Amino acid sequence: MRFLEAEGLSKTYIRRCKPKDGGISRLWKRDTQVITALQDASFSINEGELVGMIGPNGAGKSTTVKLLTGILTPTGGTCHVDGRVPWLERREHVRHLGAVFGQRTQLWWDVPIHDSFLLLRDVYSVDKAAWQRRLDELVDALDLQEFLHTPLRQLSLGQRMRAELCGSLLHAPKLLFLDEPTIGLDAVSKLKLRAFLKEENKQRGTTILLTTHDMEDMLALCQRVMVLGRGKLLYDGQLEALLRRYDTVHTLRCTFEGEADLSGLPQAIRHERDGGAHALTFAPGEIPTSEVLAHVLACGPLREMTLKEQNIDHLIARMYEEMQL
Amino acid sequence: MRYIYHAMKLNLKSIAQYRASFLMQNIAQFVMVGGEFLAVVVLMTRFTALGQWRAEEIMFFWGVMQLTFALCECLGRGISTFAGYVGSGDFDTILLRPRPLMQQVIGHRLDPRRLGGMIVGGGAIALSCVRLGITWTADKLVLTLLAAAGGFFLILGLFLIEATVSFFSVRSIEMVNVLTYGGRSTCQYPVDVYPRPLRILFTWVAPFALSMHLPISHVLGKPLFDVPMAVVWLAPLAGPLFFLLMTRVWYIGVKHYRSTGT
Repeated sequence: MRFLEAEGLSKTYIRRCKPKDGGISRLWKRDTQVITALQDASFSINEGELVGMIGPNGAGKSTTVKLLTGILTPTGGTCHVDGRVPWLERREHVRHLGAVFGQRTQLWWDVPIHDSFLLLRDVYSVDKAAWQRRLDELVDALDLQEFLHTPLRQLSLGQRMRAELCGSLLHAPKLLFLDEPTIGLDAVSKLKLRAFLKEENKQRGTTILLTTHDMEDMLALCQRVMVLGRGKLLYDGQLEALLRRYDTVHTLRCTFEGEADLSGLPQAIRHERDGGAHALTFAPGEIPTSEVLAHVLACGPLREMTLKEQNIDHLIARMYEEMQL
Repeated sequence: MRYIYHAMKLNLKSIAQYRASFLMQNIAQFVMVGGEFLAVVVLMTRFTALGQWRAEEIMFFWGVMQLTFALCECLGRGISTFAGYVGSGDFDTILLRPRPLMQQVIGHRLDPRRLGGMIVGGGAIALSCVRLGITWTADKLVLTLLAAAGGFFLILGLFLIEATVSFFSVRSIEMVNVLTYGGRSTCQYPVDVYPRPLRILFTWVAPFALSMHLPISHVLGKPLFDVPMAVVWLAPLAGPLFFLLMTRVWYIGVKHYRSTGT
């Protein structure tokens, strides 16, 4: 059996709401509405993998994470993490689990973070020496030294996220869940955080599952990606393969000396005028760049040109569009 | 236990961050409960007796209830404010930790601002003892402690009702507070001064009469119900039993926890 295995995992909610019409009976009548947060998701993750999960808001990412952490009980399907069913063997399960939710703190707000870490030692019943060793390691790696004895509420967002990460890793979990860990962080903090996560995954073999809207995070960290949309798992595989599937569009902007006739371009090149310039959009998979260049050069004397790859955010937006999310 | 101890310590440390606020709230509590106490005193000077009870005896019942309830609000703060964690999704954090849930809920928050209320309650008991000239024996002392302990768990159990309802309804219904705060206000007086429906409610549904009034009535030497002594000693168990029952129901509710979006 794999480290983490989910089969047909589903979660539906029943929402009661007032009926839209129907005079006085609105007071007691309630319509029920079934909301599918996650539908029939099956996947598995090996120990030591670093997997990214993306999808628009409300796609079911958080629901998936909450099912895997045992916070929620599914309405259908099952899953095993390290041989345990999260919501049935909650205590044993969470003992080997770390989680950081970007918008919610797990440390105590008004006390120095070191005190929080001390309490976490009791929470997880970690051996004192092992705990101290781990703390030293993390303080070093996450640069916590200067504010270890400052209350959480006085820390900046970046410092807080580092403190949260430290708290979630003190008990050396096998599996780490990160829900939008880089949200709201500045560029330097983001880079540092990514470097740290990569190291943690590589050195200690911690399995990491992260959700994010930041595609740079994905590119930097994950080889494998899961795409969720409207409660369904739409794609599960290599990030690169996914990008190749969509990363097909390049734009060549060029200006010519004098007028040029571009009407003779092949179908595979889409031509648009952009002020004095021409924007030529093409897919390298369909027509090689060298061929495009040859066509362009044949059109007239070229003055200037730039080649732009489509930005990954656009790609994902296009993918969501195509998947009708 | 070590965990609870440390969690409580951390709570106190948090509160120590806001010393002025802590002091002010304690004074506020003291004044509030003190005001209630004065109301009882005024009533008692007007109507020197209530049913079979003398004013000082009523004060004893009142004091035990105030002290117990303030203690519940202090140590059971995590339970009484639990609906809030469900609404905000903070219960997630508790579920992510490898400790028994109830232990964590209790350790989650502490409210020592109730000290003011406890002092007034304790004062009322002391005053009534002096006025009544109670001769304290070991079994009277134990019965009083049992009454307080039984009431303590009973009230925690009542807090749990609202906590459980919060799993099913996002907006907690005020209705469920009827037994908790209504129970406190009603049962600070012995149950036999009330009409039959209320007596039944507070004996068999929310058993304040069994866990608190019955043992206290024996301390005061005016037995409430005509029951053998063994029953009197066992009656306060109604409190912890009620608490255990509500805990089971609460655990069923946990399975229906929906969390909130992030």
